[in-house]
Amino acid sequence: MDRYVDGEAEAFEFLYRRVSPNLMGYLLRLTRNRERAEDLLQITFSKVHRARGSFLKGAPVLPWILAIARRSFLDERRSAQVRTEDLSPDGSLPEPQNEERPLPTEVSDALEVALDRLPENYREAIVLTKITGLSVAEAASVLGATETAVKLRVHRGYTQLRKELEQYSRTP
Amino acid sequence: MSMPKPDPLADLPWPKPEAPGEAVSAKICGACTKNLCAKRGLSAFNRLALCVAVSGVVASFGYWFGLRHHRSELGLRMGVYGAVGWALMQAAVLFIGFAPRRGLLGSRGARMALAVLVPVLFLGYLSYAAWSYVPFEQFSHGARAAHALGCGLVALSFGAIVGGSVLLVWRGTDPVTPRLSGTLAGFVGGVGGALAVGIGCPSHEAWHLWTAHGLIVLALGLMGFAAGRRLLSP
Repeated sequence: MDRYVDGEAEAFEFLYRRVSPNLMGYLLRLTRNRERAEDLLQITFSKVHRARGSFLKGAPVLPWILAIARRSFLDERRSAQVRTEDLSPDGSLPEPQNEERPLPTEVSDALEVALDRLPENYREAIVLTKITGLSVAEAASVLGATETAVKLRVHRGYTQLRKELEQYSRTP
Repeated sequence: MSMPKPDPLADLPWPKPEAPGEAVSAKICGACTKNLCAKRGLSAFNRLALCVAVSGVVASFGYWFGLRHHRSELGLRMGVYGAVGWALMQAAVLFIGFAPRRGLLGSRGARMALAVLVPVLFLGYLSYAAWSYVPFEQFSHGARAAHALGCGLVALSFGAIVGGSVLLVWRGTDPVTPRLSGTLAGFVGGVGGALAVGIGCPSHEAWHLWTAHGLIVLALGLMGFAAGRRLLSP
């Protein structure tokens, strides 16, 4: 990050290769939509680019970028809530689509479904600590919460995941 | 003896991180490396010094105003002592609230505590600095109220200068808690503005200090809260 701030283009590419898979995974789990996640990825990196001068030397990079991504997601969701509904070409309101997922056949699919069903704050805490690989302290700094709160969310999320997966293992 | 049950989540196939599409990656790398040049912002210490300096300039203006209007030497001296003491408090708030956040100093709990303590302590200080008291009915009519309104508006303007400078100097540095940081910036500005006016203001009535000098700290804290997300978030 420091070399990128000093103007080295190769350093940005290296940083991007290191950070973008984790960031994309996090955004995918927040948005549950690949296009939106990619849009947010672009918004996040444009903000990182603009704010690179304010990055405090030696601070951990991934939590800083994840915090920017999370803030961008919350801003985008807030503005989407006040946006009016787009009408279909015939002028009527589009009917909501029934998005029932097929029953999972693999444990990994079941885990994805169970993760999607978790409340957002539990899911975020689990994604950051288990999938993105942040420490509890780093996850707390991204979420703007205390470490105890993050531990509690992870524990409650685990309990709920366990219940969901037990149900899955009981189904024939 | 039965073996403990293994945690069913320990070996779960957690999803792997996913790479974004090639086109998106190319677009981002192209945009972020085009005409890339060094962009090193000010260090935390320089930012902090700059903010305290702006507060000092505003306080100096209050001192000049007091001299011009022949304020008593004792009053001027008390005002300056108060301003110097609170400048230290402003520096502490800026250091804990905005400088690199590691460990207990700069933790969210410490910053929340500051956001509560600063206005409470400042109102306490104003109560201590008040030399006289008139009932609110007397204060709220006539020349006293007009003087308090004028003082409050000037303190609000001075506070907006100091608080605005804090927001500008630390612009884009807090992606996590910009509203809390904005509130702290507002309090720093409010304290700076109130003290600058306090040096030049001859009134030492309790109601005058609470309303014209104290309330603007709360008002600027609210303004900082509102402006924080826009200005302090990258």
